[in-house]
Amino acid sequence: MKQLVRLFGAVFIIAIGLMYFTSYLNSSQGYSGANTLTIYNWGDYIDPDLIAEFEEETGLKVIYQTFDSNEAMMTKIEQGGTTFDISIPSEYAIDKMKAEGLLLPIDHSKIPNLGNIDPRFMNLSFDPENEYSIPYFWGTVGIIYNTELLEGRTFSSWNDLWSEDLRNQILLVDGAREVMGFGLNSLNYSLNDTEEAHLQEAKRKLGTLTPNIKAIVGDEIKMLLAGEEAAVGVVWSGDASEIMGENEKLDYVIPEEGSNLWFDNMVIPKTAKNIEGAHKFINFMLDPEVAARNTEYVGYSTPNAKALELLPEEISQDERFYPNPEMTSKLEVYKNLGKKMLSHYNELFLEFKMHRK
Amino acid sequence: MRTNGKLAQLYLVIVFIILYAPILYLMYYSFNSAGTMHGFDGFTLEWYKEVFHDTRLLIIVLNTVVIALLSSAISTILGVVGALAIQRVRRNRPRNSLLAMNNVLIVSPDVIIGASFLIFFTMIGIKLGFTSVLLSHIAFSVPIVVLMVLPKLQEMSPTLIDAAKDLGASGWGVLTKVVLPFLRPGIFAGFFMALTYSLDDFAVTFFVTGNGYTTLSVEIYSRARQGISPSINALSTLIFLFTITLVVGYYFLTRRGSKKPDWGVVQP
Repeated sequence: MKQLVRLFGAVFIIAIGLMYFTSYLNSSQGYSGANTLTIYNWGDYIDPDLIAEFEEETGLKVIYQTFDSNEAMMTKIEQGGTTFDISIPSEYAIDKMKAEGLLLPIDHSKIPNLGNIDPRFMNLSFDPENEYSIPYFWGTVGIIYNTELLEGRTFSSWNDLWSEDLRNQILLVDGAREVMGFGLNSLNYSLNDTEEAHLQEAKRKLGTLTPNIKAIVGDEIKMLLAGEEAAVGVVWSGDASEIMGENEKLDYVIPEEGSNLWFDNMVIPKTAKNIEGAHKFINFMLDPEVAARNTEYVGYSTPNAKALELLPEEISQDERFYPNPEMTSKLEVYKNLGKKMLSHYNELFLEFKMHRK
Repeated sequence: MRTNGKLAQLYLVIVFIILYAPILYLMYYSFNSAGTMHGFDGFTLEWYKEVFHDTRLLIIVLNTVVIALLSSAISTILGVVGALAIQRVRRNRPRNSLLAMNNVLIVSPDVIIGASFLIFFTMIGIKLGFTSVLLSHIAFSVPIVVLMVLPKLQEMSPTLIDAAKDLGASGWGVLTKVVLPFLRPGIFAGFFMALTYSLDDFAVTFFVTGNGYTTLSVEIYSRARQGISPSINALSTLIFLFTITLVVGYYFLTRRGSKKPDWGVVQP
C-alpha cells in the first residue's frame, strides 16, 4: 500500500511540476490569452521565420496548428470548440465551407496589399468577388518522371502514361478527382465532365492503365519518387518541386491536353476570435517581399504578381510551375459537382482501384 | 533437441532484428547531415540542437508526458475501484455483461471513440485543449486498467479476506492491507499499459486537440505531410533512449524488491 501511495504521489507531483514548467515556457514565449492569433494550416506550409517576423511587427503571438486534409480541418471548424483565426483550405473546400456558413466575410478595405495579386487569380468560380477567401498558393497536377531511370524519355501528353515500356513504373496519388480527372483529360474531355458515357469511357481507359501502375499512394509518394522506387508519378506541382529539390534526376511536365488548376486560399473561419489580427496576417502575407520569401521556402506557385517580380528568374520563368498563357488556358479549376456526382466519381475511382491487372 | 534449441534462438534473434531494425534505421538517420532519409552524407548533431532550440516542440513533448502521467494515474485509481465494484457483483449474468461492456470499449476503433468525444465535448461546451485531451485519455485507459486488475482479483482467495476479518481488520484495513497489496502487480501493469497507450495514442487525440494544445503523435503526423524532418528522428531517438532507461531502471527496482518478501501471503 505504501508503495502504491508513494508511486501515485510521485506521479502527480512530477506531472504538476512539468505542467508548471510548461506554463512557464509558454509565458516566457509570451502566450498570454488576448493577444494571440491561431493559424490552422497544412503541415510545413509557411516559412517559420515569417511567423516570427509577423509577431515582432504586430506584437501578436501566433499559435500555429496544422492539419493534413481539408476534410479533417472542416470537421474541426464545424464542431467549434477551438478558435482558429485563419485557415488555408483548397478551393473545393472553400465552396463547401461557404455553403455551410463556416466562413466570415473578409473586409477588403483592411487589406491594402490585395492589389498585388494577379487578377487572373481573383474572382474565381468558387468564390466570386473574393468575399471569403484570398489566394495563398496555386498549382497544377502533372507528371513527374525520372530522366535517368527512363534513359532520356520525355513526356508531353497524358497518353504517354499508357506506353507499353512503363510496365509497373507509375505511382498515382490517391485522389478520385485527380485520377478520374486525368482519365477524362486524356480523352480530351473536361475534368469536370458529368456525362455518364464520358465517365464510363474514362474508367475503361484507366482500367487499361493498370499494368503500368505500381501503386496508388498518399503523401509518401514524395519519398518514394525521391528514393527512385518508381520512375513516373502523377502528382501536384508543389510536391513535384519539392521532390525535384531532393533528387535532380526528376523532371515535371503539365500534359498538353490540360490539367487541374488548384488553389489554397486564406479564409477566416466562423470560430475566429481575433478578426482584426486575421486581417493583419492576410495583409502581411500578401506583402511582395514576404510572399516571395514564402514562395522560395514552400516551393508552390505564388499568385502574387509583385512577389513574382522579386523572385529569381529560374523560378519565375520556369514554365513547369508558371505555365505560359497558352497552357494556362487549358487548365481547369475543379467545380463543386455536388454530393451525388462526387460520390459517383469516388465509386468509379474505387472500381478502378479494384481493377485486376 | 539441441538443433531445435538453436533454431528457436535463431528465430528469436530474427524477431528482435525485425522489431528493432526500423528504430535503429531512424536513429542512424538522425545523425545525417543531408537532411533526408535517403543517402547518408555525414555525421552531424545539428538536428539534436534544433530539437533543444525548438521551444514549441519541447512544450509539446512536456504536454504529452503530463497527459500520459496524469491520465494513467487517474485512470488506474478509477480502474481499480471499477474492478472492485465489478467483482462485488455476485451474480454471473450482470457481472458478465459489465465485463463485456468494458471489453467493447477496448476493442472499439479509436477513430470512433475520438469522433464521439469531439462531438460530446463540443456539445456540452468543453473547450478543446488540455481538459478534453486529459478526459478522453482517462476514458480510454480505464477499461484497460480494469482488464489488468480483474484477473488478479479473481485469483485472490476469499479465505484471505475472511482470515483478515477474523483477525479483527476493519473494511478499510482489509482493502489497504490485504486486497490492494495483493493486486499490486495488476495495478502496476495497468498503470504502465495506460501510460504507453496514452503516450502513443493518435486517433483519439487527433480529434480532441485544439487551441494550440497538441501532443507529440498529432504533431509528428501533421509534420510528416511534408516529409519528416530529421529533427523528428532526433527527438524520437531521445524519447526511445529515455524509455529504455526507464525500463532498465524499473527492471532493477523490481529485482531488488523481489528479493525480500514484503508481506505474508505466498505469491502465485
